[in-house]
Amino acid sequence: MRTSATPRSLGWLLLPALLVLALFLGSVVLLFLNAFWTKDGVSLVYFRQIVERPDYHEVFLRTVSISVVVALASAVLAYPIAWLLWRLPRWRNLLLVVVLVPWLVSLVVRTYGWLVILGPKGFLNEALRWLGAIQSPLPLIFNDLGVVIGLTHVLMPFSVIATLSVLLQIDTRLEEASESLGASGLATWRRVVLPLSLPGVFTGIGITFLTSMGAIVTPILLGGIRQKMAGTQIYQEVVYNFNMNKASAWALCLLLLSGLGLMLLRALESALVPKADR
Amino acid sequence: MKRGSISVAGVGKEFGTTTVLNEVDLAIEGGSFVTLLGPSGCGKTTLLRLIAGFLEPSRGAIAIDGAAMQGVPPRRRPIGMVFQNLALFPHLDVFENVAYGLKVRGTPAADIAGPVSRFLGLVGLAGFERRRIGQLSGGQKQRVALARSLVLEPAILLLDEPLSALDLQLRRQLQVELKSIQRQLATTFVFVTHDQEEATLLSDTIVVMDGGRVQQVGTPGEIYRRPASPFVARFVGDINMLPGRIVSLDATSAEIEIGGSRLRLPLTAVIGKERAGASCEIACRPEAIAVQPSSTGSFSFAARVAALHRLGPMLKVTFDTVHGPLTGLMMANAPAAELAENQPVELSIAPQSLTVFANP
Ligand SMILES: Nc1ncnc2c1ncn2[C@@H]1O[C@H](COP(=O)(O)OP(=O)(O)O)[C@@H](O)[C@H]1O
Ligand SMILES: [Mg+2]
Repeated sequence: MRTSATPRSLGWLLLPALLVLALFLGSVVLLFLNAFWTKDGVSLVYFRQIVERPDYHEVFLRTVSISVVVALASAVLAYPIAWLLWRLPRWRNLLLVVVLVPWLVSLVVRTYGWLVILGPKGFLNEALRWLGAIQSPLPLIFNDLGVVIGLTHVLMPFSVIATLSVLLQIDTRLEEASESLGASGLATWRRVVLPLSLPGVFTGIGITFLTSMGAIVTPILLGGIRQKMAGTQIYQEVVYNFNMNKASAWALCLLLLSGLGLMLLRALESALVPKADR
Repeated sequence: MKRGSISVAGVGKEFGTTTVLNEVDLAIEGGSFVTLLGPSGCGKTTLLRLIAGFLEPSRGAIAIDGAAMQGVPPRRRPIGMVFQNLALFPHLDVFENVAYGLKVRGTPAADIAGPVSRFLGLVGLAGFERRRIGQLSGGQKQRVALARSLVLEPAILLLDEPLSALDLQLRRQLQVELKSIQRQLATTFVFVTHDQEEATLLSDTIVVMDGGRVQQVGTPGEIYRRPASPFVARFVGDINMLPGRIVSLDATSAEIEIGGSRLRLPLTAVIGKERAGASCEIACRPEAIAVQPSSTGSFSFAARVAALHRLGPMLKVTFDTVHGPLTGLMMANAPAAELAENQPVELSIAPQSLTVFANP
């Protein structure tokens, strides 16, 4: 039932939202202030560092490449899962829980799980050795590969959900129409379902890319000691070196790179995905 | 026999425990325009989807041009389908929508543009090739859906209430075009509607359905003049139903009593399990009622004009009579032109226009 409360008397309901907004804007302002205003006055010293130091280039390059790989891997792995969830409405809720399990398990347990599977004496290496496929264990963890695996595992559900939500909007009659026009199931998927679900795939790529650009914990736990990502570097500046100015400069650069990545993605999407009128 | 004939034999369909179709028997002639007519929920879409192959019957068999269709998937049936919501591909433009079927069949690119533009021309959409689906009006979308199916030159086209979302004027126009396209191509059209006027206008054969059963199959004229059941009589066109009684029967005729008058009708006009003494309903079309003193042999009685409505050149009149209220439809010129409300009149009905339904 409609209540008769006037907009004015409901204004206080906006308060929490305003508070969040204020905190957000405040932290952005602080970020800018910290990045440019050091104890020696206005300075670009940390930006100059980032531009000049090759080891820092490497950190940013690693951050971007790992994020791209994670985003693509998530998209590719998530698509068949989303398709199955779409195709099996009876099992959808159960399967969704299975897909979301990585989010329900604590980080420590998850990391330990990967250690048990991927570690030098882990399940995979032991199995390969037993099969005679390898002599010495493969380095599957505590390097960039470990980070990619860990991040993909935890971010892929985003891709599944983004893809599924778009698949669910596709009118099933379109598939029947395609079939009545002579198309096989595979042809229908390629010509109708895939093009109409691509926007969801791109949304998933965007979410997983952005999230792994800012990853901190997974690279620390599953990555190599010397193979930092931008997030771990920032974490280190804040927690160990107490250098807020440097951390802020890094954060701004990371933000800029993420924004650039997103813009590229949008350009790619509008070039690849035919515009569907709904 | 022309191609595109359909035989539906003893077909039943259940969804879980609900029976949606019962013992449906139909023989559809190739090249004809057949309409499935019935109220919403009577199973028209289900029957269409069974013919298309999107559903398999629970009982019975469907054959197209003599070939059994059991287990044949929709894409291997010589059938096109226009869906109730059209189901145009939103990510493709008009040309690509129409070219779709040719492309998936592996038609060489050089042989696609020709048929596509021929069929877009046929449905009056030449020059719309590069329009997006979202830029089309309802009627234009309808035409694209039609061209998309017809370009494959199917033996049979199934159309599920394709015009029901359009406004009346556009509907009338598309009905005429649909009929002329069907005549040109000689494709079997199986058309679904719940609008009896549309069915009458378009069809060679009407299949009246109710409650998952076929009630009657016939030409629009047969169904109008000789409805097979009170349901069909009421559903197709306006009708007056008078209560009566079957007095006596002989080999060729029946004597019927209506409100004190007695009439002798041929036995062919009596439908149902006729037996003397049974009560019955007598169906009478509005245009069979005439305002004039009785001519010999007609059934006549006194009445009073209760209401007058002018419908273009026609006059729709409600009469109060000893048999209850009756609706008449007549030309608005003399003698009906002189009618006024509350005027007492003498009505007559030609007995050959009556149909008698014996009550079970
Ligand atoms: N997939 C289905 N599952 C269960 N019941 C259905 C299904 N499809 C149709 N029905 C039921 O079958 C009946 C006939 O439906 P339908 O063929 O769509 O009727 P119409 O097209 O004449 O309006 C309706 O009562 C409908 O609820
Ligand atoms: Mg229907």
